[in-house]
Amino acid sequence: MTTTLLFDRIDEPGLHTLEVYRRRGGYEALRKALAMPPEAVLHELEASALRGRGGAGFQMGKKVSFLPKGGMDKYLVCNADESEPGTFKDRELMQKCPHMLLEGIVIAAHAAGATRSFIYIRGEYVLQADILDAALAEARAAGFVGEQILGSDTSLSLVVHRGAGAYICGEETGLLDSLEGKRGNPRLKPPFPANQGLYQGPTLINNVETLCTVPTIVTMGGSEYAKLGVETSTGTKLVSVSGHVQRPGNYEIELGIPSREIIYGLAGGPPEGRRVKCWFPGGSSSPVLTGEDLDIPYDFDSMAKAGTMLGSGAIIVVDDSTPILDVALKVAKFYRHESCGKCTPCREGTSWTVTMLERIDAGEATPMDLEIMASVQEHIMGNCLCVLGDAMAMPIGSMIAKFRPELEAHMATARIRSGVGGGAATEGVLAAQGALVGAGAGPHGEAH
Amino acid sequence: MPRPAPRTITFTIDGLEVQAPENSMLVDAAKHGDIEIPVFCYEPKLGNPVGACRMCLVEIEGIPKLQTGCSTPVKDGMVVHTQSERVKVAQNSVVEFLLINHPLDCPVCDKGGECPLQDITFGWGRGISRYVDPKRHFVKPLALSPLIAIDRERCILCYRCVRFSQEISEDHQLVLQERGAHSYVSTFDGHPYVAPFSGNIVELCPVGALTSQPYRFRARPWDIEDAGSVCTLCPSQCNVTLTVRDERVLRVLSRANPEVDDGWLCDRGRFAYPALGGDARVTAPLVRDGGELRPVSWERALEEAAAGLRRAGERVGALAGGGATCEEGLLLARLVREVLGSPHLDSRVAGALPLELLRALAEPSLQATVSDLEFAHAVLLLDCEPVADAAILDLRLRKGVRRHGLRLVPAGRAQLLDQAARAQLLDTLRAAGEEVVVLWHERLGAGAEGERAVRALLDLAATLGLAGIDGAGLLEVPAHTNGRGLREAGVLPNAGPELGELDEGGLNEGGLDAQGIATALAAGELSALYLLDVDPLAGPSPLPSSEHLRSPWAAPEPELWERALERASTVIAHATFLTEGVRAHANVVFPALAYAEKEGTVVHPDGRVQRLRPGVARPGETRDERRVLDELTAMVAPVAVGS
Amino acid sequence: MSSVPRFQHGSRVPGWDMAADLDKDPATIPGVGGSPSPEVPEGLRADIEAHMALYPDPRSAILPALEAAQRVHGWCSPEAIDQVASVMRLTPAELVAVATFYDMLETTPVGRHSVYVCTNISCSLCGADELYEAVRAAAGDDPEFNVRSFECLGACDIAPMASVDGAYVGPLTLADVPTLLEDIRAGREVLPEKQLARRPCADPGAGS
Ligand SMILES: Cc1cc2nc3c(=O)[nH]c(=O)nc-3n(C[C@H](O)[C@H](O)[C@H](O)COP(=O)(O)O)c2cc1C
Ligand code: SF4
Ligand code: FES
Repeated sequence: MTTTLLFDRIDEPGLHTLEVYRRRGGYEALRKALAMPPEAVLHELEASALRGRGGAGFQMGKKVSFLPKGGMDKYLVCNADESEPGTFKDRELMQKCPHMLLEGIVIAAHAAGATRSFIYIRGEYVLQADILDAALAEARAAGFVGEQILGSDTSLSLVVHRGAGAYICGEETGLLDSLEGKRGNPRLKPPFPANQGLYQGPTLINNVETLCTVPTIVTMGGSEYAKLGVETSTGTKLVSVSGHVQRPGNYEIELGIPSREIIYGLAGGPPEGRRVKCWFPGGSSSPVLTGEDLDIPYDFDSMAKAGTMLGSGAIIVVDDSTPILDVALKVAKFYRHESCGKCTPCREGTSWTVTMLERIDAGEATPMDLEIMASVQEHIMGNCLCVLGDAMAMPIGSMIAKFRPELEAHMATARIRSGVGGGAATEGVLAAQGALVGAGAGPHGEAH
Repeated sequence: MPRPAPRTITFTIDGLEVQAPENSMLVDAAKHGDIEIPVFCYEPKLGNPVGACRMCLVEIEGIPKLQTGCSTPVKDGMVVHTQSERVKVAQNSVVEFLLINHPLDCPVCDKGGECPLQDITFGWGRGISRYVDPKRHFVKPLALSPLIAIDRERCILCYRCVRFSQEISEDHQLVLQERGAHSYVSTFDGHPYVAPFSGNIVELCPVGALTSQPYRFRARPWDIEDAGSVCTLCPSQCNVTLTVRDERVLRVLSRANPEVDDGWLCDRGRFAYPALGGDARVTAPLVRDGGELRPVSWERALEEAAAGLRRAGERVGALAGGGATCEEGLLLARLVREVLGSPHLDSRVAGALPLELLRALAEPSLQATVSDLEFAHAVLLLDCEPVADAAILDLRLRKGVRRHGLRLVPAGRAQLLDQAARAQLLDTLRAAGEEVVVLWHERLGAGAEGERAVRALLDLAATLGLAGIDGAGLLEVPAHTNGRGLREAGVLPNAGPELGELDEGGLNEGGLDAQGIATALAAGELSALYLLDVDPLAGPSPLPSSEHLRSPWAAPEPELWERALERASTVIAHATFLTEGVRAHANVVFPALAYAEKEGTVVHPDGRVQRLRPGVARPGETRDERRVLDELTAMVAPVAVGS
Repeated sequence: MSSVPRFQHGSRVPGWDMAADLDKDPATIPGVGGSPSPEVPEGLRADIEAHMALYPDPRSAILPALEAAQRVHGWCSPEAIDQVASVMRLTPAELVAVATFYDMLETTPVGRHSVYVCTNISCSLCGADELYEAVRAAAGDDPEFNVRSFECLGACDIAPMASVDGAYVGPLTLADVPTLLEDIRAGREVLPEKQLARRPCADPGAGS
């Protein structure tokens, strides 16, 4: 239906081997890029207007151009930590077409003048890391990675570095600290990695999908690539669809198509008889949208306009069978677990939010707790060292804003269930509120 | 290495035009306008800001998000708000967040009354908390080391203590474990945090999470007085504030002096005070009778001493050291030289050097300062082990290496004397850069080869042209705290005050140095020995938590001294503790003052004069050394002059 | 034991309530400055040194080194940490600080076979919580197993899923649980037909 670039026949047997990859013209883009001066390659990247696929959506070409010129050691780090809940696109790329990533890395390094590169892959991806290691060995042997690649004077060392389970190591500066052998705590910015990153040297950090797109851009030319998608969101994007859909999985779409086409057209929509209650358009960190928002075009700016974000391109669909509180609790618990603990609002705010949600569920909360919870989210937002705090505050905040009546009802019924409300225990808010009024209301209470 | 030369800029904060050094962090710049921005994790002494606590959020026009004032360098024309509604809300919420799990047990907390968390909560908090759920609780307090207790309920995870361990003392023993709200400060597998400078974390902790075991529950801020003084337990001479209650020192804190200690203390300086006030102190005059030292009246002690000195006359030798002040040194020199007519006195336990060498070394253009150590291109460590010889310099050198790429070159006497090795040394130093500081210990000049070694040192300084380069030079760590002061006071066999010629001063020459005195005593040529705050036989210091510090007292040749003291007919000592030599050989012991009780001046190894002020009353019958020396002089004078 | 109420911090080390043992020596770098240096299995030493050689700053090898030590010792025991410390010339504290930060590094003894059941949002929408309870119940107190509920493992397309000693399997039903544990016990490939490794891509354009 839409153009497939990254996923084009990706299930072809043996594609993970150098032989098959080359039979399909693999590493020709590298040959072409190495024949061009770095500036020319950078120009193509800028012309493509490719936006980062890792979450922030920052233009890759711009980022490369931020790296200082000069002879100092520069680094390229591929962010393969992929731990944003709902995201699993990088996994499929690395597992089935590792050489595409390697080729992209070498080209990007050539453009950025980096001489050392690392792939930081989450430790849970054992299979994919092994595949990358094997591919790297092949590529080295064939002279695509290492000293004076293909006889050019571009050299690049590459190491596959396995993480050990920490979401925060996907955040670029947390990743750098982790790669330096420290706890994965994010750093203060500025200085930005482009100036002072890995080992204090200028560092380019890009997501797997972003780098996998680079060879395509070099092959078809930046401006050609820019014709795909929509003006401010060019090209194709891998979307990981999961949750309450009939055909979960990764789909490559042209940016800007209606979200409905992805959720219903490709992923088959929610099970028979269910309707979309809410969905995360860009991983669990993005504010939720509802069934009414299905026609919003799926691209960076449209999502921003709708008050949410495209993030990592992970669509999580929740149908009407699930209470919103369960969703909120899952999300909050995740961020509490993953908060690195370095900054106050995130460390304390995430655990406070979980406590309040649990209290609501246990029927020990009052409507005031919703107010407090909402304001706690506001106090977290924008006040943290990195955006992990915001990554919880935004979705939770959006759920409180969009599902307040349901949350209040949940609270009320839970109070009755737990006996706090006492008195007349019928379902529904009004009855519940009646019960609340009745509770301990002396003679009137008895009169009821 | 170029040192920061800040230029002043003007910025606006809360409507005020304020002048401040460019690129100073906003929290510091704000102070120039008398505006306080609250901080917890920010502590410039610890290096670059980490921006963890978020207490210092401020609004900067032109930047959408609130920024951390602790990590934002001030620029010309910046417009900053610290009172706006947005900022207030942020500050309130950070305080609220921090107090979620803080026990608020201020009434039973040592920090109460001097607690940044209390002050900031009061000044910038909302005053109420909306947190109604149970706080977490842990066993408390727990031992972190014999000297430090940790209360994890109170910890606000500001990172200060662990940063100290990683980035200042670099012992890498204290770390954060776990993640997120589970993070906690700890060591590996329950090992105690024992390191030369561990005590500083107590002072760094902005809450009552880290407390000093000896100080716990001893006093409240409103019970205590502060007394500024200088620690004379080693040549570093760190500046301290004594916490005093009821004429007792209850705590020793740093009185930051960037030119001396950078605001740090070693554990000995911080924790030795109980011993100084303890039972081991000599607090009454003692006289040996029937082989035993017995307490006697001052009159009796002075009489015994005077008699002994009269008998000995010019056959007396004298040594000064320890924490003896310049004034005490002058008075001793007067007693020995002018009154008793003996030229035999010394303060270099390791042995004297020819006057021209002493003068060459004292050459002003050759003097290096403590801060030079930090900014030099290279520091040559010559026969010197900083952490053992002058503890606090160890931190300064680490700082230089870490922040300014200082090159450390350790070497011994041998390398200095061997041609080839020396040439190599020179190359290494030259390669590092021209600003070279030589940090050397008095022991370099000891023994037979000593003089040659010191000449070689001067020679090396000349070859490198150190005299001509500012930021370069020599820095000698004397064996004794006030070694430099005593020399300048003329406690030397071959020089008067300010290294003046003796004959010029009308003083007799040909004095014996420490070694000479020992030999002469052993041979019976001298009959009396006067020890001012020094014991040539002292073993390890009687003070606690000093594992890392060498005993500054011991002399090179114990056997010789053993014989010398054995043979001497009179040994008079001013002592705070009965160290080996004193206990075994002194006939008269005058109870000496500890630095906390003393008045006087000492000279820092780099030449700065520092003043001791009495912080607490003198214990027992102790008397000011100056008075004792004075009375003694008066008692001995007529006879000595007469004979 | 103290009567102080404990915070349910679920911390993998009971460190919050741990005091220092004042009889122990300070934990400095093993084998440096007179402190005892532990016996390190040759294979492990070589492994760690090989990793150290890969990076401009050998410290970067901490994670691979700890993972290697965990493979040898089963978990990041104090002994394991001490060995890594002596090879890398770091203090054990620096290593334990890192080890406790990461979910995959075990700082208490665990079973040989790890079963990570993803219980994050997408999987739990598909019944992961029940699955996790079922696996726990089935594994019982068999010391061979280390059953953990894990955050999103990056395989929501096969939700609910689990990672068995690193191999992803799903979508799992409660009926799969007994077979799953059986396969592990028997040392067989776990639920071959449900291995992610063999799953085709969902995208229409992916087939060849
Ligand atoms: C909490 C947090 C987690 C993140 N996790 C990931 C991740 O798993 N993978 C990734 O590529 N980017 C992740 N990012 C985004 C990175 O910080 C960074 O923006 C991105 O890797 C840059 O690459 P790109 O420009 O190609 O997108 C995360 C960011 C945050 C704040
Ligand atoms: S113990 Fe004190 S200094 Fe250390 S992190 Fe906690 S609050 Fe900060
Ligand atoms: S003082 Fe600025 S963040 Fe802590």
